Amino acid sequence: MDSEDDMHDANDMDSLDDDYYSEESIVASDEEHNSGDDYDFEDDTVEITSKQQPSKGSLIVRPPMRIRLETGKVKRDNITVYVVDGSVFPSIVAFLDRKREQGKHTTKSKSPELRVQHYTVLSEADIRQLQEDDTTRVSNVLSISKVSASILLRHYNWSVSKVNDDWFADEDRVRRTVGLLDIPVVHFPNLKEVMCGICFESYPCNKIISAACGHPFCSSCWLGYISISITDGPGCLMLRCPDPSCGVAVGQDMINVLVSEQDKEKYSRYLLRSYIENNRKTKWCPAPGCEYAVNFVMGVGSYDVACNCTYGFCWNCTEEAHRPVECDTVQKWIQKNRAESENMNWILANSKPCPKCKRPIEKNQGCMHMTCTPPCKFEFCWLCLGSWQEHGERTGGFYACNRYETAKQQGVYDECEKRREMAKNSLERYTHYYERWATNQASRLKAINDLQQMKSENFLSSLRNNKGHLQIEKLTDKYSMPETQLKFIIDAWLQIIECRRVLKWTYAYGYYLPEHEQIKREYFEFSQGEAEAGLERLHQCAEKELQEYITSAEQPTSAFHEFKTKLTGLTSVTKTFFENLVQALENGLADVDVDSVGCSRTASTKSYGGGSKKKGRGKSRGSGSDPSLEE
Amino acid sequence: MANSNLPRRIIKETQRLLSEPAPGISASPSEENMRYFNVMILGPSQSPYEGGVFKLELFLPEEYPMASPKLGRICLDILKDKWSPALQIRTVLLSIQALLSAPNPDDPLSENVAKHWKANEAEAVETAKEWTRLYASGV
Ligand SMILES: [Zn+2]
Ligand SMILES: [Zn+2]
Ligand SMILES: [Zn+2]
Ligand SMILES: [Zn+2]
Ligand SMILES: [Zn+2]
Ligand SMILES: [Zn+2]
Repeated sequence: MDSEDDMHDANDMDSLDDDYYSEESIVASDEEHNSGDDYDFEDDTVEITSKQQPSKGSLIVRPPMRIRLETGKVKRDNITVYVVDGSVFPSIVAFLDRKREQGKHTTKSKSPELRVQHYTVLSEADIRQLQEDDTTRVSNVLSISKVSASILLRHYNWSVSKVNDDWFADEDRVRRTVGLLDIPVVHFPNLKEVMCGICFESYPCNKIISAACGHPFCSSCWLGYISISITDGPGCLMLRCPDPSCGVAVGQDMINVLVSEQDKEKYSRYLLRSYIENNRKTKWCPAPGCEYAVNFVMGVGSYDVACNCTYGFCWNCTEEAHRPVECDTVQKWIQKNRAESENMNWILANSKPCPKCKRPIEKNQGCMHMTCTPPCKFEFCWLCLGSWQEHGERTGGFYACNRYETAKQQGVYDECEKRREMAKNSLERYTHYYERWATNQASRLKAINDLQQMKSENFLSSLRNNKGHLQIEKLTDKYSMPETQLKFIIDAWLQIIECRRVLKWTYAYGYYLPEHEQIKREYFEFSQGEAEAGLERLHQCAEKELQEYITSAEQPTSAFHEFKTKLTGLTSVTKTFFENLVQALENGLADVDVDSVGCSRTASTKSYGGGSKKKGRGKSRGSGSDPSLEE
Repeated sequence: MANSNLPRRIIKETQRLLSEPAPGISASPSEENMRYFNVMILGPSQSPYEGGVFKLELFLPEEYPMASPKLGRICLDILKDKWSPALQIRTVLLSIQALLSAPNPDDPLSENVAKHWKANEAEAVETAKEWTRLYASGV
């Protein structure tokens, strides 16, 4: 319907090169949403540059960057510029202009990374401002009152361009449909008294109130009529004259004159909500208690949005953000989980018997590497209960915990009595995927919690974790590193949180990946396995190794610097693995279509190609990474 | 007694219903409760209900006219979301009369008849006639 549909956008834009920007380009930071925290989950900067319409502003956007698997390097496609016509997409452009103005007065510098977003997070003040701007614009262009403009926009679901189109095509028809009259249809001859059309009482003319039509009603009947409508719900925004033959709209001006403060407030909330709910480009953030809304620009790019409240959700289906898995798969998976919830409760249990000594071991960390309490000290994988030492090795050096068939062959499912009860293969298969999905979710929440603790006010001032140990400040003192140089720890945790989310959803993807698509499945499981193995190393390093530096009395500074190099390296390697995985799934695993297997991917065929999968895996795991980081 | 503080509007409406009744419609208030009306509507001529007399009970709730009159199981939009306080008992009864001349299958008075109507209009007309003969004639 609107030409803003033509606007494309991109996400996950990292570190754009300087030459992507014209001289006018400015980064506007979203001051009022910012807590002053350098490590915000979201980065709601917008980049505005001028092109063709220097005064209006346009959005400059690119498709997501491409990652080539064979080199492990990041390549970018050419920049694409989509001009947003100010007349079609006026409010957002004006809004961005305002943000840019604010940005000019901002002394706080955001991260050097410039990002373009295909959505904008809106606070209540932003929404009111946008609504006000749209209303004013329509009022000016059509030369009608702002109240009339507001009624008109409500009928047209707040599409300024649609209002303009229809109005100038056939103004009379629009006026009739919406109930905007320029001349009253009812005139009182010079009567002393007029009868109210509801209570049938007669009143002097000055006690009678009418909408634009002139149909006479007394103020107490109006009050009753409007209050009932407001109590009934947002339908009051479309209120018409009580006369059944009339249909003239009753606007906010009349309502504000007649009703109680409480009802005025309710009406104004409905109006605000309508601007979000009746507009197909905006939605409320679905997080409980969150009052932000998101304006989304359709086009290229994923549906994932990150609200200022830190909740990430899919704009399309409003479930938790699930890139790179498609909405349909997510819906199927959620329904499946609901149907199986009784069978699966035990999976969420926090303890499992040690595969060696059978004592119950509680999982209180995020990573899957478990160590039984002394004297057993057996190290095993929480998910498959296999020995951790052999975890990547037993199938010839490649990670297979994520594969249903392989895990099953190990016979590890016999370990648990519950599992033995699951006679049906289908349930067992589902269990495999569900457990990994659910455990990654739990692990993600744990990581969010850990990061929160690290970032909390309390942490920064008193710097005590639950064990009473000093954390970041202690590191600052101990290794004489300024706090800013400890950002690598936060970055690692942010990466872990994001990766746990992606990994979790890839298990829903894996469950629905058709079994007969053998090559795709192998490629998928390989990429997933690589990513997962990397993430486990990263998570373990950020979680356990870091603790050693915090808790132990003496560690040489040089060791801490080595640790920094390792964690930073693992963060970047894991990031690459996951980017590969996301890329592969978003392409629908098209890279392994028959013709591409042979030619362009010589370097990586050994990574997943049928016959060679038992050898040479160790090498491909480290592709693009610093060999010194390998454990 | 509730009748003593009956709103002016209800008194006026009642007076007019009695003094200038609409053709084919009679509505008279009960003596004990002036908000309670006995209504009779003649089946419109040329309609499947011709020759029938339909008896209804109509009640004006405390909130009337802000709320619609209560009429039992009658499917009429103006009795639900399309009600306006500027409508009256007379308009409601005229609408019911009109409904009898041309039932709207999408807003079923009786689900069964409505289903019939959509599937086979001729047959439904026969059913309606039959029901009129059986249940609504000879008053
Ligand atoms: Zn009117
Ligand atoms: Zn009145
Ligand atoms: Zn939110
Ligand atoms: Zn979705
Ligand atoms: Zn043990
Ligand atoms: Zn495992």
